[in-house]
Amino acid sequence: MEERPCAVLLKFPGTNCDEETARALETVGFVTEVIPISALKPESLVGVSLVVLSGGFSYGDYVMAGRLAKLVTEQKIGDTLKEFRDNGGYLLGICNGFQILTQLDLLPAGSLVENTSARFQCQWVTLKNRAPESPFLSHLPDTFEFPIAHAEGRLVTQEESEAKGYLESGAAALTYTEDVNGSFEQIAGLQDESGRVFGLMPHPERFLHRQDHYDPDWSHPSDGDSAEGEENRGSGYYLFRSLFESVTSASS
Amino acid sequence: MTTETESTPPAETILDSIAEAPADHYRVLKISDLDGEKLYELSQFMKLSLSQEDMLAIQEIYQEWDREPTDVELEVIAQTWSEHCKHRIFGANIEHEIDGEKETIQSLFKTYIYDVSHRIFDRKPGFVLSAFHDNAGFITLDENQAVCLKAETHNHPSAIEPYAGANTGLGGVIRDILGAGKGAKPIGSLDVFCFGAPDTEMDNIKADDVLHPLGIMRGVVRGVRDYGNRMGIPTISGAIQFDDSYIYNPLVYCGTAGVIPIKDIDKEVGAGMKVIAVGGRTGRDGLHGATFSSAALDTESHEEDQQAVQIGNPIEEKKAADFVLAARDEGLIEFITDCGAGGYSSAAGEMLEECGGTIDLDSVILKEPGMVSWEIFISESQERMVLAVKPESLPALRKLADLYETELIELGDADGSGILKVTHHGETVCQLDCSKLHNAPIREMKSQWTKKTEAVEPPLVENAGEDLRSLLSDFAIVSREPIIREYDHEVQGNTVLKPLAGASGDAPQDATVLRISGSDRLMSMGLSVLPEWGKTDPYAMGTACVDECFRQLVASGADPDRIAILDNFCMGNPDDQEELGALVETVKGIAVAAEAYGAPFVSGKDSFYNYFETEEGPVSIPVTILVSGMGIVEEASHVTGSSLRHDDSVFALIGHTQGHLGGSVFARQKGLEKAEVPSTDLETAMESYRKYYEAIQQGLILSAHDVSEGGLAVTLAEMAFSGKAGLEIDLCSVPADDEMSKAALLFGESPSRLVVEVAPENLEKLADLFEGLPFAALGRAAGEHRNLRIDWGKETLINEPIDELKSLWKNGLAQYY
Repeated sequence: MEERPCAVLLKFPGTNCDEETARALETVGFVTEVIPISALKPESLVGVSLVVLSGGFSYGDYVMAGRLAKLVTEQKIGDTLKEFRDNGGYLLGICNGFQILTQLDLLPAGSLVENTSARFQCQWVTLKNRAPESPFLSHLPDTFEFPIAHAEGRLVTQEESEAKGYLESGAAALTYTEDVNGSFEQIAGLQDESGRVFGLMPHPERFLHRQDHYDPDWSHPSDGDSAEGEENRGSGYYLFRSLFESVTSASS
Repeated sequence: MTTETESTPPAETILDSIAEAPADHYRVLKISDLDGEKLYELSQFMKLSLSQEDMLAIQEIYQEWDREPTDVELEVIAQTWSEHCKHRIFGANIEHEIDGEKETIQSLFKTYIYDVSHRIFDRKPGFVLSAFHDNAGFITLDENQAVCLKAETHNHPSAIEPYAGANTGLGGVIRDILGAGKGAKPIGSLDVFCFGAPDTEMDNIKADDVLHPLGIMRGVVRGVRDYGNRMGIPTISGAIQFDDSYIYNPLVYCGTAGVIPIKDIDKEVGAGMKVIAVGGRTGRDGLHGATFSSAALDTESHEEDQQAVQIGNPIEEKKAADFVLAARDEGLIEFITDCGAGGYSSAAGEMLEECGGTIDLDSVILKEPGMVSWEIFISESQERMVLAVKPESLPALRKLADLYETELIELGDADGSGILKVTHHGETVCQLDCSKLHNAPIREMKSQWTKKTEAVEPPLVENAGEDLRSLLSDFAIVSREPIIREYDHEVQGNTVLKPLAGASGDAPQDATVLRISGSDRLMSMGLSVLPEWGKTDPYAMGTACVDECFRQLVASGADPDRIAILDNFCMGNPDDQEELGALVETVKGIAVAAEAYGAPFVSGKDSFYNYFETEEGPVSIPVTILVSGMGIVEEASHVTGSSLRHDDSVFALIGHTQGHLGGSVFARQKGLEKAEVPSTDLETAMESYRKYYEAIQQGLILSAHDVSEGGLAVTLAEMAFSGKAGLEIDLCSVPADDEMSKAALLFGESPSRLVVEVAPENLEKLADLFEGLPFAALGRAAGEHRNLRIDWGKETLINEPIDELKSLWKNGLAQYY
């Protein structure tokens, strides 16, 4: 029997998107395990292909989004996540997970701060795929929609020019097509140099099905090559699908 | 947060004069010699919210037992007998007079809620799995899973501290779900608010220290947002009413739905089990919440009662929730309930009322030192759950508590004695026969109601387009988008029909629909609140609220034979006969509609004393009922939204339009507050809903929108807000009363009506289905323009650009929030 790759989802107190994210990963073929942070050890990641930090409010995000999660993770497993990446592992951070990956310095320098609206924003946004060769985005079209739900999703860098640099270097893998939250260069998602660490504010796990879209008549803007049974997929599915294929082809 | 007691030299209080303190942490109170007046004074002083009659009954119980109560015992009885916990007005004997006719009602709850629902249970075996006795009522979803819904109010705390009040209001009802059965998983929340208008002049607030409605609204919304979002429970459904009568007493309803494996619904406590608590620590926050909410507010409440408002910590609750659901899945829970009003005293009281057992207050981890026994036992500190478990399950439970980083304490034991015993510092501070606790005296009350409506001439409609614009800008109708977007309504990834949807993603929907993990079926959630109707005709409000909630659920694709509802009442002063009369009439209205629709009540709650002593006398809220409901949607393809989908479809109206304008937003705008309110033809409506469901099953319906606030014209405009096409409508064949006014046709709010969008080729099929029922073709979607055009025969009543209408509607609240 073919061995399915294993994904581990780290769960902090206040992480609350782990279930649907695990469901998304299972749908495309991963075996998943949710590990509460209290039980995390360096050896927890042995044999694991993907580590996912899902959305939520780790420790309430009262200090700064992702700050306490970073400190606890480092206290628990030190540099294990960096070693994991160096050894070919993949890391995905969604929303609060993106904030935590940024705090952990696993992504290009930047901070996710309060939206310019000073509000929580739950809405759908259009995204531009700027890294079609990314292991996370290969099956996604040039533009597509995902929902967002965050109060602190505005990506800022020390100097605005750094963010510009991210556009040029390809680190800014995903951008909003309009100004959503005040992010520099409208950046919605970042990847690291290896391409195996990816963080984004939008929630692909909330758009696995066509019916998850707000418009009942939405259909996938595919070029007609979608396989049978795929017509009811939402765009989020294809992010996880891309990831699964990258992980399996990398390990074979 | 805490308010220190005044430091004036202590005169001897009633409490001092009768108290003996065997130890620092509790007192014995000699009540046997007190007369009624003194007893009442004691109740007042201790903030027990017990009447003189109640206090006399307690005195008699203790005389029988031949001893004096401890302060802990009196507090426990006060919690148990409080209106908040015992619903004594709904159990009272009421002599009711309606338009001069007298009748006696023995318990509103039994007569109109419980008995009605049980008749429906008998008609639909297997549908309702649990009702009225648990934290929430369950209905069958499929062969393995059940869903539940519970709604609560948190009015008094939200008036005083809006953020914390609403925060803990939602936190509390989420715990209700976690404590339903052996622990249900919360999957969606609703919130309904009643506030004064956002543009209320400060001069119109006739009391000190009352917060402006805008301040209340902002605080309340943020409170709900910060709890719901952090818990990861989508807030998917809601409503806001604005009316001057809510300036002093805002209403904040919070509700949560849950899902559970059917095998985990039944729970029982047995002798030998351990009682444990998990979650937050216990402090002085939230003392006397239950009794506080059973009394009226005044300016002093704002100064004195801050202690009664709890402080929320959603992450603490999230950890407890993770623990509870994991423990349930591992089969480690025998019984569970939440710590809500009354804290451990009511949680343990409920758990041990039959079995009996001992609670050891020394086991409780405190937030602050020096708390005395009664404070610990009745503290309403948040985020605590109480469980009964087998002793052998303890090690596994401790492991889970460590895993999810929540604190677990062994609170006591269940022993089969039938006695609730509480120990502290080695002494018994409370020893009560639980069965005695639940026999509060039955209240005798009087009520009366006379109809307040009168025949009024409908106003002439000279410029219907202007009237429509003015309605779409009315606070009653404007888009709630600024608030909806602050709530994460998509977390858990199951919100199929969102509160805002349609092709543009921002058009209003009737109900919201959730996918349920592990099932092909879905759950729809709807609600209705129509206080304006109740001001003049509470009976009509009752029937119309059930109808609207039911209709929303059906419109969204729910099976009309698998709908259950909840009744949540708020009112002012129940000792005012007229106000109580309005309540009685409302209850009758919801009961008759529930029975006609076969939609049983599975849970409910009430909140009294929502009145305020202002400089100009007491101001009461109108009797306000929230009817919320859940319906089973058989399959995903049945889910139906409320927004225009195609540019070549046709439109039809289901239901009869009456000439009455009462209760409508239009009538309010025109100053016709006394206009007669439409009635609900329940039998015809139910038949129509069944036919509509057949049409859904046959795939005939593209979209459907209920006709509600603002009437038919607003309904059509809202459907067109998807931006897909214009509309060309003719009202000439609308089934209606003879001699209809334009006003009633366009803006009347007769219940039981739905506008549906169908493909042109399906219109005849649909018309055939509705043979013999009120039904008419209305017009068509017009792809060639983007106007809403409404004709009445040869006359064009309305011809307005939809984007202009939409921008009025969309920006109405945005400027205030």
